Amino acid sequence: MLKPDADGRLLDYDVMVVGAGVAGMETAASMGDMGYRVLLVDKNASVGGRAILLSKVFPTLDCASCIVTPKMASVSHHPNVQLMTYSEVDAIARNSDGSFAVELHKKASFVDFDACTGCGKCEEICTVAIPDEYNYGLVTRRAAHIAFPQAVPKKAVIQRRGEAPCTFTCPANVKASGYVSLVRAGRYKEAFALHLENAPLVGSLARACYAPCESDCTRGEKEGTVHIRAIKRFMVDRYYAEHPEPEYGPVENQLETRVAIVGSGPAGLSAAFYLARLGHQVTIFEAEREAGGMLRTAIPAYRLPKDVVDRDIKNVTALGVEIRTGHRVTSLPELKRQGFDAVLITTGASDENSLDIEGRDLDGVVGCMQFLHDVNVGKLPDVKNKTVMVIGGGNSAMDPARAAIRMGAGRVIINYRRGRQEMPAHDWEIRGAEEEGVELMLMSTPKRFIGKDGKLVAVECISMVLGAPDESGRRRPVPIEGSEKTVPADVAVLAIGLAPSTTDFPAEMKNGKGLLVANPQTLQTADPDVFACGDCVTAPTMIINAVAQGRRAAFYIDRRLKGEPLDVPFDGVLDKTGKAAVLEEAKRFVERRPVPQPALPPDERRKTFECYEKAMSEAEARQEAQRCMNCAECSQCMECVSVCAPKCIDFAQKPTPLSLNVGAVVVSTGFKILDPATKELLGYGRFPDVISGPQMDRLLAPTRPYNAVLRPSDGKEPERIAIILCVGSRDETVCNPLCCRIGCMYAIKQAQLAMGALPMAEITIYMIDVRAFGKGYNEFYEQAKDMGIEFVKGKVARIEQLANGNLALHYEDMLGEGGRKIREHDLVVLTVGFLPNTDVFSLYKGGELAADDFGYVREVDPISEPARTNVDGLFVAGTTIGVMDIPDTVLHSGAAATQAAAYLERSGGRQ
Amino acid sequence: MTNKRRIGVYVCHCGGNISDHVDVKDVARTLAGEADVEVARTHLFACSDASQQEMIDEIKDRKLDGLVIASCSPKLHTFTFRAMAQRAGLNPYQYVHVNLREQCSWVHGGDKAAATAKGINIVRAGVAKCALTHPLTPLRIETQPRVLVVGAGVAGMRAAIALAEMGLSVFVIERENEPGGWTSQVGWMGPDHQHGPEVVAKLLKEVKNHENVVLYTNAELTAKSGHIGDFTVTIRLCGEKDLTLNVGAIVVATGFTPYEPRDGEYGWGLPGVVTLKEFRQLLEEGDGPLTYRGVPVRDVGFIYCVGSRQTESEDCPEPNTHCSRFCCMATAFSGSLLHEHEKKFGRTINQYHLYRDVRTYGRLETVYAKARADGALFLRWDPSDPPRVEQRNGRLAVKVKDTLLGDEELEIGADLVVLATGMVPRKNGALDDVLKIPKSKDGFYNEIHIKLRPVETAIDGVCIAGTSQGPKNLAESVASSLAAVARTGALLKKGYVDLEPLVAKIDTSKCVWCNECLKACPYGAIERVLYGDKEVATVIESSCKGEGACVPICPQDAIVIEGYRDDQIVAMIDASLKETVPA
Repeated sequence: MLKPDADGRLLDYDVMVVGAGVAGMETAASMGDMGYRVLLVDKNASVGGRAILLSKVFPTLDCASCIVTPKMASVSHHPNVQLMTYSEVDAIARNSDGSFAVELHKKASFVDFDACTGCGKCEEICTVAIPDEYNYGLVTRRAAHIAFPQAVPKKAVIQRRGEAPCTFTCPANVKASGYVSLVRAGRYKEAFALHLENAPLVGSLARACYAPCESDCTRGEKEGTVHIRAIKRFMVDRYYAEHPEPEYGPVENQLETRVAIVGSGPAGLSAAFYLARLGHQVTIFEAEREAGGMLRTAIPAYRLPKDVVDRDIKNVTALGVEIRTGHRVTSLPELKRQGFDAVLITTGASDENSLDIEGRDLDGVVGCMQFLHDVNVGKLPDVKNKTVMVIGGGNSAMDPARAAIRMGAGRVIINYRRGRQEMPAHDWEIRGAEEEGVELMLMSTPKRFIGKDGKLVAVECISMVLGAPDESGRRRPVPIEGSEKTVPADVAVLAIGLAPSTTDFPAEMKNGKGLLVANPQTLQTADPDVFACGDCVTAPTMIINAVAQGRRAAFYIDRRLKGEPLDVPFDGVLDKTGKAAVLEEAKRFVERRPVPQPALPPDERRKTFECYEKAMSEAEARQEAQRCMNCAECSQCMECVSVCAPKCIDFAQKPTPLSLNVGAVVVSTGFKILDPATKELLGYGRFPDVISGPQMDRLLAPTRPYNAVLRPSDGKEPERIAIILCVGSRDETVCNPLCCRIGCMYAIKQAQLAMGALPMAEITIYMIDVRAFGKGYNEFYEQAKDMGIEFVKGKVARIEQLANGNLALHYEDMLGEGGRKIREHDLVVLTVGFLPNTDVFSLYKGGELAADDFGYVREVDPISEPARTNVDGLFVAGTTIGVMDIPDTVLHSGAAATQAAAYLERSGGRQ
Repeated sequence: MTNKRRIGVYVCHCGGNISDHVDVKDVARTLAGEADVEVARTHLFACSDASQQEMIDEIKDRKLDGLVIASCSPKLHTFTFRAMAQRAGLNPYQYVHVNLREQCSWVHGGDKAAATAKGINIVRAGVAKCALTHPLTPLRIETQPRVLVVGAGVAGMRAAIALAEMGLSVFVIERENEPGGWTSQVGWMGPDHQHGPEVVAKLLKEVKNHENVVLYTNAELTAKSGHIGDFTVTIRLCGEKDLTLNVGAIVVATGFTPYEPRDGEYGWGLPGVVTLKEFRQLLEEGDGPLTYRGVPVRDVGFIYCVGSRQTESEDCPEPNTHCSRFCCMATAFSGSLLHEHEKKFGRTINQYHLYRDVRTYGRLETVYAKARADGALFLRWDPSDPPRVEQRNGRLAVKVKDTLLGDEELEIGADLVVLATGMVPRKNGALDDVLKIPKSKDGFYNEIHIKLRPVETAIDGVCIAGTSQGPKNLAESVASSLAAVARTGALLKKGYVDLEPLVAKIDTSKCVWCNECLKACPYGAIERVLYGDKEVATVIESSCKGEGACVPICPQDAIVIEGYRDDQIVAMIDASLKETVPA
């Protein structure tokens, strides 16, 4: 029975109604009653608009629920109404035959609505609290939440604004936001388990990761970045202390497939972990005597104690991974002959670049890796009371320098050819080194090593000046002829860069720099069964990059072994959450200063290889975790997934776009509430007991946040309540000359309800005119006066806070003697004005939807043709033309339904 | 006790409205153990969709055959829960609504134990009634695709056009000689500067051109019978000829009456004291500078709230307590028209607006702002000391205490004093007897619910539109008339309507046709028929409203109302007298 449109397509619905507040619901139900097929779209998770959030409604004092829930139920069950919540209209265009082409999309809720039972378990366990927009920010709600108790449909949604910057920035996408929120909630075991999903070497990372997450933390734009690594350190120390052994063994479902991994550094260990979790038989070959790669041999113990590396490796070996140490692999074909189905090369980049100057071979001139290796395996170089010069300015120069200090060197110098600003090492590393007594010798480079009896005694250095920028954009240092000077030194450590450790592999596998060549997406080499990842592919980088590569390699090796195609994306990561919106919302948050990182003082540090960073206490870690701003809302802590019985949570869900043809359109997108902080002198946002009218309604609602009328600052029952009318309405100073039309009445309602809830309270309404104009309204106003509610004619100019916490209202009393007066109240309600929701204008793409002088949708002929806009077939219902009360909205929506029906009859658009 | 029935009892918190005063959990616990009750529970909001879904699931799972919901007034949610029962596969008439809010929690605040005890008893009564229910089927009747619109003002005419556009046949009747109502008598209207007669002329042209609309002037509705979907109405044309029409629904748009001041009220009766409408006629009719009785007008006083927002006094025993809504805007707008007039003729006319609150709500605020910009002076008076209008030296003197000037008494000399008279309910006399639409306290026609069903009335099939329901400006009036069209359209486009089966039933074995019930029935729903060889009464179900006047009057006790049968009422009384035993 569908009628084809001009292009031969069928009409999907007779009418689409956009916005399911009172107006949209009323219009949809009316048109459904008339027999038209209606699509009702709302961007929120529930229908009901703003009215469902009210306490009671004037002048009858019916519960808002009693009024709105029947309408909500009627659109949800109406045989002719199709409800689409959590969906947004993107574009509306008019077809030549008078019907409309509509583009819309169902937002990703990360919950399968068909399966969700609305049980609320996810909400109970969710670790992220965000200001509850349904309570106008008075309290918080969870990121996984059901909008409110009467929601229709009663389905949970998980609010994700994107990927949190920390998680997004992490090369391994470790869910920093997730484990931080779990630590905040005191769920350390869960935090550890969550970390394992992206990186198994939790303890090592907690100490030695350069934490790119922290450099992209939104809190960094305010009081300073959240010390995410310190939170992790607390979490993993706690977990390892309670669990010296992993809580799991090999997975149940073991496969026959065998994988050889060459190298037991972070990349190899990570790949082994994820492969073994998938059931593959994994063997790691390690040339050194102990596993761990650079974790073991390069990073000094004062940054990464080796027992932590051991415990991290247990995470891998507990899955059944075999590590054959002291076994250098020199032939890949040999591995295949041994029956391995796939090989992963993760040999790293620990070969040293050489400095080709005179005296390089003198005793006492060593490579940085060699130096650190010796330190780490206990072959401590003798530097006691000697002078050690470290050459280089990267992080790898800091480690030998600081290690030398700890071994009792008399003088440690870092010699770098550019300036301090240009040093590639982290600033905190340089500062740490300096604190411990390391000297910086900047704008200088060694020209030759001077020996005596084959042993180094001095270094001849030459001063440098920064010249023109090189191809990397950095200014190239140029020697200053004649500036040579000789610096006595017993040991020189060359920290001038590392090369890939790939000498055992054939040239055809490598590029000109000696790096193994692998597909950057799949990490597969030219031999389809050989993969390579980590520093030997990428050149030297951070541990977390190697970990990320290991997990990626495991993913594609698994697919290769299972015969699945490799042209699939690896990780579903959302776009990074923009910080601007988060910072804007955070303006009203309390300031949270960073918790200081506990550490040994420099004097103590000099004497010991003991880890100088100390773990935070539980209280400190949780306090620091509190500083997380939940940028992405959902932190992906995955707790909801663990409790959802119908298994309806799906983090891979994507928005679903839809294209539809409809016969007519009714927009009922409503209004916006003016930000009460716009009236700065009234103190909203500065004084907690100055609240907005909508907030007061929540305090009075049956589903009220505190289950009592309490003032927010201290939970006291207010005794002297002021309600100020016309805040930002009839007010040219905020460019809103209109009367808000409902403020007087909702204020009187609130006054009456507050009087019922707090019989002892004095209630004063500060007003210009009391506009009680509807049916029964004036009587309601008179009743309020009879109840003892005081009406003061006068505008409140400003509000100040008194020493006792109460608020002083400065106002002009316009009656009687008049004059400027001050009165004390303990709760102030600002009856705020409203603004048009101008989003509606961008929806219509077929030209311009006309606005009135105030930014509301314009009715072409408000007297004879209510609800009709300048676009034939596109109608407007309710407050989209200007704020009005519920009865007027219902009537206007009836008119919109009639107009749309008449249009459908005229245009023959009805199915 | 044996369970004959499997009844589900659901007690609603009403988000605290009930549970703050009645221990709803205790009510549910107590009922859970009683005869015929299969399950008893509480819900935070029984009306919410989620709660409804839970109840539906339980009705199905536990095969319930009766349903008692103890919540708010049945006026609010009877239909909600009937629809829910239907969705659950339960006959909607096996659901009983107990009003635990209006009849218990709201009236017994402060004594929770006693309120709970009473709550238990009235829910018990509901269960007792429910146990005696049996499935009923609504009476489905065809609807007539024709509508009668009463009143050919702007609201009525606009409704007629919209109904016709929906494909319905429309008869519009107008009591007066000319259609157009009040709008045809005002000139320019704020805030959009439309001209009343032009608006009327445009609509009238459409009405006349539309083949589906027939307009009768000098026409009055004198009789109505039948029921929703199928009314028979009698129209008296020009006071002599009767016309009978068959319509499916009626839209009443009979408008308002302007307030008529009492003699002496604000100087009413003195020369120069005029209503706003008269003032506008003076302003717009002449083609020269404004004069009154030949005297040039230099000073005009406007007095607001005449006949509105009244309080009871000796002079005013039946006050109009309502606000008339349109007059502030209309008067302020008139101030701007007066300003245009003075500019046009190069004369200065001072204007003084004596108000209480300026209620130019929403965008109408712009009208107020413009009037002030145009030179209108606004003085605020208090009803305890209203302005006095006197005649002095051939002019008028208005004494007013301006509350914004420290109650300083001002005397304003005026050539004209304009009374902004409000809207009062129209005295429709005989029409009210025919339509029987209930009125609200302010005397205007009463809607079923201002927010839920604002254009429907207690008389099914009869909608109200425009100012017959309460004061409105023209745009609001038209919006309400189109809302009435939406309801009417929904009713008639479907082609049928289901009538309540809660109607009278006559036991023919007992009936002896004494004629008493016929006399008692206000709906003409009783007929005499032959039953075998005896004459008995029978009920025309489509006409019966189930209101029960016939029941007590029957000497043979032969009549019951379905849903309110004697056995049910007795059972309810017994149940509610049962001693309360806490669970």
